[in-house]
Amino acid sequence: MSEAIVIENLTKYYNKFLALKGLSLKVPAKENVGLLGPNGAGKSTTLKILCGLLRASSGAAYIDGINVAENPSQALSRIGAIVETPEFYSFLTPEETLGYLGRLRGMGGDKLKARIKEVIKQVRLEDWSKVKIEKFSRGMKQRLGLAQTLLHDPPVLILDEPGLGLDPRGVVEFRDIIEKAGKEKTIFFASHQLTEVSQICNQVAIIDHGKLLAYDSITALEKKYKSLEGAYLELTEAPLE
Amino acid sequence: MSEFEKLRIVIGYEFLKHIRRKRLYIILALTLIAELAVLILVPVLGDGFPDNVMVMAALLSVGPSLAGIGAIFFAGDAIAGEFESKTGFILFTNPVKRSTLVIGKYLACYAAVALLVILGYVIVTISLLAIYGSVPIETLSSFGLCLLYAGAVLSVTFFFSAVMKGSMSATVITLVFIMVISPIVDSVLLMTGQPHWFLMSTNGDTIATVYGGYEAFMGGFGGMGDMPFEMETPAIGLSVLSMSLYLAVGFVASLFISNRRQLA
Repeated sequence: MSEAIVIENLTKYYNKFLALKGLSLKVPAKENVGLLGPNGAGKSTTLKILCGLLRASSGAAYIDGINVAENPSQALSRIGAIVETPEFYSFLTPEETLGYLGRLRGMGGDKLKARIKEVIKQVRLEDWSKVKIEKFSRGMKQRLGLAQTLLHDPPVLILDEPGLGLDPRGVVEFRDIIEKAGKEKTIFFASHQLTEVSQICNQVAIIDHGKLLAYDSITALEKKYKSLEGAYLELTEAPLE
Repeated sequence: MSEFEKLRIVIGYEFLKHIRRKRLYIILALTLIAELAVLILVPVLGDGFPDNVMVMAALLSVGPSLAGIGAIFFAGDAIAGEFESKTGFILFTNPVKRSTLVIGKYLACYAAVALLVILGYVIVTISLLAIYGSVPIETLSSFGLCLLYAGAVLSVTFFFSAVMKGSMSATVITLVFIMVISPIVDSVLLMTGQPHWFLMSTNGDTIATVYGGYEAFMGGFGGMGDMPFEMETPAIGLSVLSMSLYLAVGFVASLFISNRRQLA
């Protein structure tokens, strides 16, 4: 099976602080992989490097075999991403925002208009599609964030805490959308919500202090540690060398 | 899809931003107020309008100059805002070069400022025609200098916007640099008889001094009096060179810094 995401010996320093310490992992195409770890473990840093927002101090990240640092435009054309809580230009409406992002990705005309309608319906923002984003709550922005990841139908979704700020109904709807998308796409999904991860993903990578502690199927981890929660607690508690 | 096509898209949406933001209309209102103040106060406080059309033209150039300074308010958040408000987390994950985004933002800002400058000169032209029945040819030079000045101000603002973490600090630092530091250094150099053509405040003055220099300008108000030093009118050519340098260096530096800046 080909790999959609390859992370090779990734190291990232923020000045003297070591955020990633030679992290390596591979996400096979069309697999849904959760990235777990406590705060400051290096999850967001990893995703930001994959999205070309940060440069690695050493090592490399590949999307569909394309080196993100060397060829960001080509690599980014294959992903849809939500990194942190998405923020949008407040002076635009969701329709205009998606129009802007879609056009930047080479979409246009009636096809783009139809697709915008489709994704807006998918994230249930139909009644707000012509309202300026300045009036939006955090959860609504999160919905729009998901809409923009799906807009161009990318083969890889990179999601960093996508359920943050959503109400319980929103969380369920969100999970359904991602679960559905995950049947055809590769999903690399960072979250603190173990239940959410276990419902969407079949494999998880657990990292802490920028190091990979475990990377296995949820079933295997549950077998070894009794539960995913048990695996998380035991692995992240263990002192690092 | 070529980067040029993406650039056109970025310019379009960035220009829409300026059209929808209040600051465009605030700068427009200030420009109009400045022109009105000149048109009302000069005849009220003096003995009618100055005899020399050049003096009135120079006075009226304050409006468009103000519009040029308005570039600071358009561009302060152009780059810093993407990092500060985190909109970059969405925008920068798209397959578009950072340089395309910065160039697009610059050109959209410039278009918005140029619009205000053009409007300012339309008012200058109409006013001069109404009062004097003629418009000096130097108005064209003043217009060109004002557009160049706006470009230079924009580049300096983009530079600070690329360097600073926050939009507000980028705006304030640019304002301090152009409106406080530059005039202070300008005054010192002027009084000590040193060259000062390379300062932004001197460059901004040429928008008015192109109509005949400080002496002609002050002559309209009874002369320069007993000045303790000689007010040397800045040379237009050197000012053009200076503004072009601010424009090019500021812009290239902002591009370079933006490309290297990370979104942590």
